[in-house]
Amino acid sequence: MFSTAATVMRGSRIGAKLFVTGGSRAALSIGTAHKMAKETGNAAGRRVVAEPGATTFAALEARLNLTFGDSTLMEQVCTHKSYGQGRVAHNERLEWIGKRVLNLYVGEHLLATYPNLSPEALQDVQHASFGMSSLAEVGRHFGMQAAMRWEPVSRDAPGVGLTKVLGKAVQALVGAVYQRQGAAAARAFIAQHMLSRPVDVEAVVQITNPRVMLVALTRQKGMEFPVARILRETGRFTSSPVFIVGVFCGTKMVGMGFGSSLKMAEHRAAKDALLKHYAKEVKNISLTGNEEDVSLFSQDSPASAVPV
Amino acid sequence: MASFRLPNVLNEVIRAQRDQFLRPNQPKNGVGAFVFPCRKLVFNYCERSGSSKSMMEYLQRDAIEFATANPQIEVVVQPRPSKHPIVRAFYTNGEQKTKCVRRCSVSEIPEVVKSLRDHSGHKLRRWNRYVISDTPSVRGIYSPFHDKAVYSISDLKPKK
Repeated sequence: MFSTAATVMRGSRIGAKLFVTGGSRAALSIGTAHKMAKETGNAAGRRVVAEPGATTFAALEARLNLTFGDSTLMEQVCTHKSYGQGRVAHNERLEWIGKRVLNLYVGEHLLATYPNLSPEALQDVQHASFGMSSLAEVGRHFGMQAAMRWEPVSRDAPGVGLTKVLGKAVQALVGAVYQRQGAAAARAFIAQHMLSRPVDVEAVVQITNPRVMLVALTRQKGMEFPVARILRETGRFTSSPVFIVGVFCGTKMVGMGFGSSLKMAEHRAAKDALLKHYAKEVKNISLTGNEEDVSLFSQDSPASAVPV
Repeated sequence: MASFRLPNVLNEVIRAQRDQFLRPNQPKNGVGAFVFPCRKLVFNYCERSGSSKSMMEYLQRDAIEFATANPQIEVVVQPRPSKHPIVRAFYTNGEQKTKCVRRCSVSEIPEVVKSLRDHSGHKLRRWNRYVISDTPSVRGIYSPFHDKAVYSISDLKPKK
């Protein structure tokens, strides 16, 4: 059950009347003025970072629809080892296992969803979309920034390092879910909060010389030599021409591009063809699959039917 | 596609330089899972002043029920002597909203609390668009008045 930090103030008329029972799910706290004053801000409207209490962690747990059954676990997840010289329970070990669990399930999902990406590109997608800065964004979205307990490196720049600390905290959260509730729960958590976000694959695929790469790719796949043909054009001898060019392997158009010059249009068409191949997405892969299956891949799962 | 991978540290530096224009994924609250935007509500009141009277009555009557019904919100009750009673809400996007309830009766305070709770945290802004989309159409949204196919209906053809 949740902990309720109901420290009743002495001599307060309100405090005497508000009685919180032990089993309630409320994150309600009645605090002394100076302890809680930090986050209310002062008259100038300046916001000061508050010290998170037991109610902060209970509310965070409820906001994420988690029931750990242990009131100190969320506190541990949100504590970086820089806090209190590392003498209090911190999230380093949870972060270690959480990072591996996260990378496994994210990797599984990417492998099944993008069958034509090379491992370097998969790694880059994972780094860009599920790396530290993305995880820190997830943590901010959860409201974990207010619950973090850590010591900044420099007092002059107290925000420096927060991204990494938040990212590690999110990994530790995944680790805590994995360790306490099992693999299926961890996978559902990752699928709900992280895999449902749009992934930008096209920005990660490295294409430096598209026409050369397209020739190599078509030769590898045994297709006919790619030829560029004008589909539409307008304003050829004016200051703002527009050409729409398609790249054809035989009679089949594999890519289409626009440009103000024929060269640029052909360049874009070749790039389009390459992206259609490499960034091809398999859309019917379910994020969580069967309830009992720990992994996306098993004897009969549809993800296993996609050739790797 | 298969770029030459330099070992360890250099790779990180090059990758950071190359990826500097990539933005981390923007959260879309509600797609996949919904994270309640309001994370904390602070009730400030003064024990002695008359303007806090209805606030104190609300706190004695409804505050615990509200906190129990909303476990995802951290509810803090805190005296603020010699000041008017306020409700201050904190949201997950870092914004906060304050409402002074000195003129509210006991039945009006729950409405104020509810409106603060249900707010997304984003500041009000003007959207000069009919449709807001991440993938806007290049040629504009379809209009039947600007479509030649409509004229294929015989009674709309211009008479010769």
